[in-house]
Amino acid sequence: MTPERLKASILQAAIQGKLVEQIVGEQCPDLSKLKKKKTEEIEFELPDTWQFAHLESISVSVASKQFQIAAAEFKTAGKYPVISQSKEYIIGYSDNDKMLYHHDNPVIVFGDHTTIVKYVDFDFVVGADGVKIFSPNANIITAKFFGYVMEYYSTGLEKVGGYSRHYKFIKDKPFPIPPIEEQQRIVAKIEELIPLVEQYSRHYEKLEQFNAKFPEEMKKSILQYAIHGKLVEQRPEEGTAEELYQQIQEEKQKLIKAGKIKKEKSLTAIKDDEIPYDIPESWKWVKLGDVVSLLSGSDFPPSKYNDKGEGMPYMTGASNIVADQLIINRWTPTPNNISHLNDLLLVCKGSGYGKTVINTIGDVHIARQFMSFQYGLPISYKYLGFYLQSQIGTIKQNGQGVIPGIDRTFVLNMLLPLPPQKEQQRIVKKIEELLPYCDRLIR
Amino acid sequence: MALQAGFVKRVRDIMRMDAGINGDAQRIEQMVWMLFLKVYDAKEDDWELNEDNYTSIIPEEFRWRNWAVADDNGHAMTGDELLDFVNNKLFPTLKNLSVDPSTPVKKAIVKSTFEDANNYMKDGVYLRQVIDVINEIEFDDVKESHDFGFVYEEILRDLQSAGSSGEFYTPRAVTDFMALMIQPKLGEKMADFACGTGGFITSWLGQLQKQVTDTEAQKQFDDSIYGIEKKPFPYLLCVTNMLLHDIEVPNIYHDNSLRRNLLDYTEDDKFDVILMNPPYGGHEDKSIQGFFPDDLASSETADLFMSVIMYRLKKNGRAAVIIPDGFLFGLDNAKVAIKTKLLTEFNLHTVVRLPGSVFSPYTSISTNLLFFDNTGSTKETWFYRVDMPSDRKHFSKTKPMELKHFDDCIAWWNDRKEITLEDGPKAQKFTVDYLLNEQGCNLDLCGYPHEEEEVLDPLDTIRNYQEKRAALNAEIDHVLDQLEALLPGGVTE
Repeated sequence: MTPERLKASILQAAIQGKLVEQIVGEQCPDLSKLKKKKTEEIEFELPDTWQFAHLESISVSVASKQFQIAAAEFKTAGKYPVISQSKEYIIGYSDNDKMLYHHDNPVIVFGDHTTIVKYVDFDFVVGADGVKIFSPNANIITAKFFGYVMEYYSTGLEKVGGYSRHYKFIKDKPFPIPPIEEQQRIVAKIEELIPLVEQYSRHYEKLEQFNAKFPEEMKKSILQYAIHGKLVEQRPEEGTAEELYQQIQEEKQKLIKAGKIKKEKSLTAIKDDEIPYDIPESWKWVKLGDVVSLLSGSDFPPSKYNDKGEGMPYMTGASNIVADQLIINRWTPTPNNISHLNDLLLVCKGSGYGKTVINTIGDVHIARQFMSFQYGLPISYKYLGFYLQSQIGTIKQNGQGVIPGIDRTFVLNMLLPLPPQKEQQRIVKKIEELLPYCDRLIR
Repeated sequence: MALQAGFVKRVRDIMRMDAGINGDAQRIEQMVWMLFLKVYDAKEDDWELNEDNYTSIIPEEFRWRNWAVADDNGHAMTGDELLDFVNNKLFPTLKNLSVDPSTPVKKAIVKSTFEDANNYMKDGVYLRQVIDVINEIEFDDVKESHDFGFVYEEILRDLQSAGSSGEFYTPRAVTDFMALMIQPKLGEKMADFACGTGGFITSWLGQLQKQVTDTEAQKQFDDSIYGIEKKPFPYLLCVTNMLLHDIEVPNIYHDNSLRRNLLDYTEDDKFDVILMNPPYGGHEDKSIQGFFPDDLASSETADLFMSVIMYRLKKNGRAAVIIPDGFLFGLDNAKVAIKTKLLTEFNLHTVVRLPGSVFSPYTSISTNLLFFDNTGSTKETWFYRVDMPSDRKHFSKTKPMELKHFDDCIAWWNDRKEITLEDGPKAQKFTVDYLLNEQGCNLDLCGYPHEEEEVLDPLDTIRNYQEKRAALNAEIDHVLDQLEALLPGGVTE
């Protein structure tokens, strides 16, 4: 139940005579001398002692332009308050005596564009276009009651028609007229309830924000659990990560000899105090650069790429990732930094840095916003992808600089908890099983 | 000290090869019944020495010294013969020992500990190897048995699986701190109604030990403890733990503390001191709420235990209890009723907040220590937040919390001052009026500023979310109740 709905239901009960009791003997004011104007059909049953009328029959509309000053003239302090269509009750101050609207009876201000309704019982200066001022006939309807009826009819209107004028939607609505004493009792009741509605609104907001955060928290929690080695059980028959690590080194050597990947400078060993948390015994802490081959991208000037489909797809950066898929919008006939099918791509620069996606397209040229983990080593790229996702916080922390992003050195030195290969696959399977549930939590 | 190094690893490596052991929980269970028999055997040596007519409740051929230890010729059962003996003779015998109300506790304990024990190992050769490792422990040397206490602790800490396996072990640093601050006195009786493996009892005894100077004192020492544990496995561990501490007649009962009418407790059921870490999110039958008056009934076991504690604390008694954040900020009817009772009928003088990873790796949930006594109603409550030491980001299995991390709190305890740091209040006192009215029994004060950013384990993430959501909903319902009361037809209480 949104706070707006709660307030609307209270106002509705108010204007239908259901909020307070009718008292025998109270009489509705005499409407016979009023200018009659046709209202819309009244849709609910009024109590016997009530009548209804057109709002323009029971109030006087005051032209506001004559009291209006420009926004530039608003002061933060001054003799007279300035009232506009804003949510804030008073938008500023002015010392402009000539523009002061003086009135002896309280008025209701209606924002034609914003549909905000305000009760004002002091002199003021008008601060915007579209400020409609109504002076209700005190013998017929109290200003506050008038205001609440107007507010009821404005409920939800702000969603209609954007910034256009809204008075036309409410002007012909039937304004119920209860006996004056009852109007006062209704107003008193509403004013008793409003602070509670506001309290409710604050709690509701807190709850909404709290609920909105949860699906993401759940995801983070699952990913962290997975890379800590707690999501699936360890199985001794699957071997150890140490064995896998040796295998990877051998494979790397083979690929280097075959010219498929470049030889890299060896990375410094991991120090004991660098290890962030305990991992299962069969796992191994490694540096990312030790177990992958990382290809950096290069940027081409517009003369070297096109949008006509000529040549190999050219991946610019995060803009090529839509709904976790790679999309092609540029091509180049002179590709250089080529990522292959099943490589894992990491956005390392630009506003979307930290995102990962698997290259399901095939040979593509990558620009500098991308780095590519080249496929071919016995490690699960899906596991790597989930690992990088779980590190997004660290990645973002490290990427704060004049130009947002992370560099090659940072990526190569990232600490990766490495499970045995089969376990990586089991972990991936489990995560893929659980993530859809997190998505379902998003409302 | 050679005992410690590698003992657990060696046993684990052997068991790893046995197909019958599935997972850490079973491995620990397996290790422990064997340790119990070994420890019991060593104790029986003492009893035989000190008592004239000591007879073992265990039939001769089933005593550890006779079947597990190699005979004079160096022969010992192994392989299928051993397996058959253990499964078809030893276990059935120990499960069916003849026990009646007159049986001394130190004998009856054998039957009760084997009631739910299991032999999981399927290979008699590996079983033999494990027994051999265990036999290497010598108890002649008193020091050895204290070292063994450490090994025992390591085994308990070794329980990897989070949740159900680890929930009965509270980090030693925390139980030691609480026992220290509660200031045990000889002659007093303490209780832990969910004693698990006996951590609080051990810490209590550790403090009380210093006051034991003669045999009279020794008797008071032995009688000073009382524990109830529902789960058979931790019960077994606790009993073994007590035997290790020379408590021959440990007042430890295998029972469910919640299954008694709260209003039936009498003076005899009350204790001078209560120290405990009640289980949270416990799985109890809904019928258990029937033992509690309506306003205190809750589906959260920690809540129910708080009520049990309040009803079983003697006049002028003292209590220290570990409870989760959910208890502090929760505002459902039961929690508000319990906290109101705590603040108006008891003196809740101190709340110590602990960082999230204290119980790592079992759970990453945030916990708190409530210190209160039965001397009268609360006037004011001090909140103190224990911060992570600067040398690490989290506590972990390999770098757990230690008693020294409480040093600042201990120094502050007797010279209490408000402390405010850059990121918020660390120590502050609040009047009971403020807690009951402005806070409406929300005791989530002096908390951790960056807790929001902690990534917890999935189960803890879910629980935490559900508790906080329930608290937010309770607040909303409170506002709606007030609103309703003002509406025509709304219920006014």
